Amino acid sequence: MQKYDSDTTPILQVQNLTKAYGRKTILENFNLDIAKGGFFGLLGPNGAGKSTLIHCVTGIARITAGKVLVGGSDVETEYQAARRQIGLSPQEFNVDIFATPLQLLDFVGGYYGLSASVRKERAEELITQFELTDHAYKQFKELSGGLKRRVTLARALMHKPPLLILDEPTAGVDVEQRHSLWRYFRELNQSGTTIILTSHYLEEIEQLCTEVAIINKGKLLIRESIEDFTKEGSVEEKYLRLTSGNTF
Amino acid sequence: MENINWVAIYTMVRREVTRTFRVVVQTLVAPVISASLYIFIFGVVVGRSIDTIVGVPYITFVFPGILMLSVINASFSSSSSSLYFARFTKSIEELLVAPVSYLEIIFGYMLGSMMRALIVASLILLVGVLFGAVSLVSPLLFVIYILGVSAIFSLLGMLVGLWAQSFEQLSVLNTFIITPFTYLGGIFYSITMLPETAQIITMLNPFFYFVDGIRNAMIGISEANIFVGAVVIGGLVVGLGSTVFYLFKTGWRVRV
Repeated sequence: MQKYDSDTTPILQVQNLTKAYGRKTILENFNLDIAKGGFFGLLGPNGAGKSTLIHCVTGIARITAGKVLVGGSDVETEYQAARRQIGLSPQEFNVDIFATPLQLLDFVGGYYGLSASVRKERAEELITQFELTDHAYKQFKELSGGLKRRVTLARALMHKPPLLILDEPTAGVDVEQRHSLWRYFRELNQSGTTIILTSHYLEEIEQLCTEVAIINKGKLLIRESIEDFTKEGSVEEKYLRLTSGNTF
Repeated sequence: MENINWVAIYTMVRREVTRTFRVVVQTLVAPVISASLYIFIFGVVVGRSIDTIVGVPYITFVFPGILMLSVINASFSSSSSSLYFARFTKSIEELLVAPVSYLEIIFGYMLGSMMRALIVASLILLVGVLFGAVSLVSPLLFVIYILGVSAIFSLLGMLVGLWAQSFEQLSVLNTFIITPFTYLGGIFYSITMLPETAQIITMLNPFFYFVDGIRNAMIGISEANIFVGAVVIGGLVVGLGSTVFYLFKTGWRVRV
């Protein structure tokens, strides 16, 4: 059950979040609110803290200090309610490589408590949606990079989450498939799903996002609407200007 | 307070059963062949030259221990390899991001591994029936011992699955603790055949109570105090279960 009632309540609230690995602090007193229904682009150079932030939000990482709320539920103390609202398509393929796409979807649906009939129906729907029909019974390790990416996207959507986190969702996907995925992401967003997107394809951010933020060295450098962000040029130009000296 | 996510627990059990049948030669065929060889060599070949032991034919005496050895190996290897592999491939993250509690994760892994142990036990019982080695004095006690011991080694396997940093480490406990302690727990001999000091040392070996308990359930002969055996098994289930829960709760080697 979602805790928030109003459309104005942020679906994600990150409050004074600090995350350290041993003595190395990746995020320090980090704050971020994301409104329901947005398409939010998260940019930053490698090691900026994007994946760490995602890990803290989703439960993969332990929070050192601060608070993260998803739909009003604390990801540490009310983790089950919080996680029910998140779908994650991670950068790395974190799957049982010997399982088939159908099995992967079925198992993940089970973890979210979906009944057998709902799992079957939803898995078939996603297999069709992501054009995986011919590969549904192949082992994950036998699939190409693009197909693997589509399987992990389908997996993230199995329980119809209101918040979808896409960490480099089109890495390794060819141009045609990338555009097809973009269309799908737009449709999902238009149907009410809030999307957080991290990508090294800045064109992707420009094409899809309504809001953009740049993180560097664990700090939020800027957060603007895509219109303001691209006023003086492309996303790439501004990104390079803001992070210059921090990338190579 | 959230309701128990039974579907998730059942899904984890299904996933483990699927994994078991994916590598059926390694998980089911190999232990059944090993147990059959033990039964044939120690029960039939060696057993022919042994009249009786504690009043029963040798094959009847050794069979419960061989069965228990297989249950121990199946439950331990299932949970340890499953959890280690999930960490290795990072597929454990599927569970970490899902609305599944730590207790549900532990029950899922434990019941999945116990399921493999039960399948292996059923197949070996069938082989035992073919060799005429099976008798069953107390079916209830038999079930309790099989479930108790497989729960212990499922939990122990989870500890090793969390601890191991390499495939080699995964086999360390099996090689240096489980196998020697099980063999020295009286599978092939009666404790009365040992010198007095060795008998006392054997009494300190928890594996002795596992073998003795299942033998008591199958042939009605016990060389240990049943109450001590129950305390050992119950204590280990609670102790290991609490340890695994604590480690999952703190995210040790699972959450970054």
